[in-house]
Amino acid sequence: MGGERRKEPIIVCRCQNVTLDEIEKAIEEGFTDLESLKRKLRIGMGPCQGRTCLPIVIRILARKTRKKPEELLIPTSRPPIVPLPIKLFLVGGEHEEEE
Amino acid sequence: MKRRSKIIIVGGGITGLSTAYFLAKKGETDVVILEKNYLGSGSTFRCATGIRASFTTEEHIVLQKKSIELWKELSEELGFFYLRGGYVWLFSEEKHLEAFKEFSKLHNKYGVPTRIIYPDEIKELVPRINLEGIIGALFDPIAGKADPFGTIFALAQACRKMGVEIYTGVKVNKIITENGKVRGVDTSAGVIEGSKILVAAGYGTRELLKTVGVDIPLENFPHHSMVTEQFRETFKPLVIDWSTSTYVVQTKDGNFLMGTEVEEHPNYPLLTRIDFIPRVVKTIVRLFPWMREVHVLRYWTGYYVMSPDRHPILGPVEDVEGLYVGAGYSGHGFMMGPVVGTVLSEWILEEKVSIPQAERLTLRRIKEGKLIYEKAVIG
Repeated sequence: MGGERRKEPIIVCRCQNVTLDEIEKAIEEGFTDLESLKRKLRIGMGPCQGRTCLPIVIRILARKTRKKPEELLIPTSRPPIVPLPIKLFLVGGEHEEEE
Repeated sequence: MKRRSKIIIVGGGITGLSTAYFLAKKGETDVVILEKNYLGSGSTFRCATGIRASFTTEEHIVLQKKSIELWKELSEELGFFYLRGGYVWLFSEEKHLEAFKEFSKLHNKYGVPTRIIYPDEIKELVPRINLEGIIGALFDPIAGKADPFGTIFALAQACRKMGVEIYTGVKVNKIITENGKVRGVDTSAGVIEGSKILVAAGYGTRELLKTVGVDIPLENFPHHSMVTEQFRETFKPLVIDWSTSTYVVQTKDGNFLMGTEVEEHPNYPLLTRIDFIPRVVKTIVRLFPWMREVHVLRYWTGYYVMSPDRHPILGPVEDVEGLYVGAGYSGHGFMMGPVVGTVLSEWILEEKVSIPQAERLTLRRIKEGKLIYEKAVIG
C-alpha cells in the first residue's frame, strides 16, 4: 500500500476518469473523509453524481482508514438526482418564450 | 492535539486559512485552526467562485483591487486555478447603464479599469450570447474566478508545511476570558489556551461572540446555485444580468455555474426550492438559447452572511482584548479572502494595517452608526 503503483490503471470514477491509485494516494495525503475526497478528485461530481462510483469509493476509504463503511459520512445528494435538460425546467414548456 | 497556542483561529474557511497563511509567512507559526466540519464546508465551498473589484464603495474597490493582486501571486505560488476572465454586467434599462457609468468612474479613480461596452464588444467577449433587450454592459477586465476547492487545499497544505496545526471536526462552544482578555476556547475536544483568538466562522461568529457578551449584527440569508454538465471553454467572463440579479460563469472544469436572486428570509435553514431552477433558467435561456439542451447536474444552497451595510466586519473587537473577527462578507468572502487574511494578520501581529480603508470596516463603525452601503450584491 502506498508504494508501487499499478501498471494498468483501474478506473473507479468513470465520469471524471479517476483511478484507484489516485484515490489511494489522496487518502494517504490526508483526504480521509468523503466530502474532501470528492472535492479533491471530483469523484461523484460528473453526470453519475456518485451513483456509480461512490459505493466503490466508500469501500476503498473504509479499507484504507480501517473504519466500517457505515461510520463514514456520505455526501449530500443534490437535486435533480439524475441530469435533466434545462428545457424541462422552463415553466409552461419549452416553447413558452416563442409564443 | 495542541492544548496551547498563541493564536487560535475559529473557522477553516477562506478567511481562517488565508489569515493563518499570512501569519505563518511572517514567521508566526504558533497557530491552530479549528473547523467544526471539514475545511471549506461553510460558505467557501458553496460560493459562485467569482472575484471582482467592481464594487460601489471606495472600501470595497480598494480592498478588492489588492485582493486581485494577491490572488495572482497566491495562485502562482501555490498552484491552483485562478483566471482573470473578466466580469460582464449586462443592462437592459437606461437608468442602470447610467448608474454604472458613474460607478465605472469610481472604479477608474481607484485603479480598476472598468468601462462601458456595447453589443458588438459584448459578443466578442461572450460568443453565442443573445443580446435582445440588452443596451450595454460594464466590463471589468481584471475580475475573474478561482477554484475554491483547489484554493483551500493548497492553502491548508502550505499552512501545515509552515507549522500551522489544523483540526477538523472540532467545534468551539465558548470563548474563555479573564479580566477582559481572551484566555482560550472551550471546544468539543476540550479546552485550548491562547492569547489571541480570531473568529472567522460565518454566522457562527455571531453565536460565539455572544458567549463573551458581544452582539454582532449578522444575518444568514440562504442563496441558491446550480451547475450543468461540462463543456469545452465557451466564454471566459462571469456574466451578470443586472435586472434579474442572475449570473453564470464557466468553471475550470467546464461546468456552467449559475444563480439568481430568490426572495428569502433571514436565518432560514438551507433548503432547496422547487421554484429556483425554473427561475434561473428563464433568464439563462433568454441570454443563451442553446442552453435549453444542456443538462443540470446539481443544485445546492449556501449562506450569504449579511452585515447591515453589506461590508465585512473585520479586526479587533475592542471590548475584549485579544479577540478579532472576520465575518459578514455579504456574499463576497471567497473573493476577499487574500486581502482579509493580509489585514487580519497585521491586526493580530499588532502591525500597522497596510490598507487604511480596512480600518473603516471594524465593529466600531456599527456601534457609531457609520455604515457604508454596498449596492452591487448579486445572486
